[in-house]
Amino acid sequence: MMLEVENITRSFGQKAVLKGISFRMEKGGVNGIVGENGSGKSTLLQIIVGALKADSGRVAVFGRLGYCPQEALVFSQLTVLEHFQYFAAAYGLPVRGEGEESWQAHRDQLLEHFQFGQYRRERVAYLSGGTRQKLNLCLALFHRPGLLVLDEPYNGFDWETYLRFWDYAERFRASGGSILVVTHLIADKERFERIYNLKNGILQ
Amino acid sequence: MIVQRIGVSVSMLLRMMFRRRIIPILLLAIPAAFLLAVYWTTSERIMPFRLASVAEEVFLEASERNISLLFLAVASVGFLSSFLALNLIQREAAASHRLVLCGYHPLALLVSKLAVLAGCTALIALYVSVALLLFFTPEHLFLMMLGLFLAGLVYGSYGLLVGSLIRGELEGILFIVLLANIDAGWLQNPLFYAEAENQFIIRLLPAYFPSQAAIASAFSDHSIGSSVLASTLYALGFLAAAGVLYFIKMRKK
Repeated sequence: MMLEVENITRSFGQKAVLKGISFRMEKGGVNGIVGENGSGKSTLLQIIVGALKADSGRVAVFGRLGYCPQEALVFSQLTVLEHFQYFAAAYGLPVRGEGEESWQAHRDQLLEHFQFGQYRRERVAYLSGGTRQKLNLCLALFHRPGLLVLDEPYNGFDWETYLRFWDYAERFRASGGSILVVTHLIADKERFERIYNLKNGILQ
Repeated sequence: MIVQRIGVSVSMLLRMMFRRRIIPILLLAIPAAFLLAVYWTTSERIMPFRLASVAEEVFLEASERNISLLFLAVASVGFLSSFLALNLIQREAAASHRLVLCGYHPLALLVSKLAVLAGCTALIALYVSVALLLFFTPEHLFLMMLGLFLAGLVYGSYGLLVGSLIRGELEGILFIVLLANIDAGWLQNPLFYAEAENQFIIRLLPAYFPSQAAIASAFSDHSIGSSVLASTLYALGFLAAAGVLYFIKMRKK
């Protein structure tokens, strides 16, 4: 098992957004959560990754977590490569000396796969929205997590990048990784093992 | 691991700060503008003033221009440091929060911000001290520089506190300008202080001890030990409060 969510509730003021959400994800699973704008999808995701506290309930993550937020949370004055170094330090990966090559090789594969290696020395301030989103996504991937939690991950992607994303996701899943995608729109239902609909604070 | 994380963060914060061209321009231009304004608007008239932190009966004599130059030098260092601190703590806070989610300890981020702030404040104090040398020769240059550094440290810590407390940039700048203007930019003027009605209030303000350290070392041979200690404690107080608030801000909501 990679993720277990048990009876999560969360309210903002008088408004109950999540009313006892429970589900679990097995190794190698790709699950989706859909719902209308404001249905609480991002709130649920933030509770799963630890950015937000639940009023009650329990979340258990088994293994390393990679989280891609909906908005590209990056630093405008740092380059693409500097972001990987900063986040490598955050993940506890070696940033100098021995062992550095292991994650750098994976980073280079990601830059190549998502086709933005040519911008590696560019500051984020000068990148397009789509390229920022690629960086936003890759920062959640390069430390080789076991569970990927992705909030609207292909926002701003062109069709080719969208296909490349699913190509990567398929390989990730085949290697035993699990993916939870939250989106307001699912185009390819066959890519998901299971799709939940979050409506009125309940998963259906 | 934590030392490595602090090192990486310091390096990234410095890059982010100095790649914004406005920052080095402000750091160079504001003290120069303050000092030139004083130079063009004051006279060489000798003024007696009371050295408030030493004893009631101690009066010093210096030219109106030199006193005003030093007083506004303290104000400019304090203002710039608090502005930098606010910038360090508020700018792209959501991305910093993501780093915390990925494993950075909030304390490591805060320490790295403080290290960058202290380094920049030392550079500003050095630059302003050298600039002051163009106008007059202080009695104790390095101690005066220490006084300026402490003014920056106290106001920088205040900037960190404001940045941790208030989300909006405009509101944060208003809080900083308000206090810096009233305190460092007005009440700590030694010429005003000598005639002030309620000196007790002036002594409680953050710029009091650093100002006294800078003034005493620039114009006299009096010891500044107690002013240095009190300034350090003042900065530590602000820092402790800023640290607690930053930690609360960065944890789960």
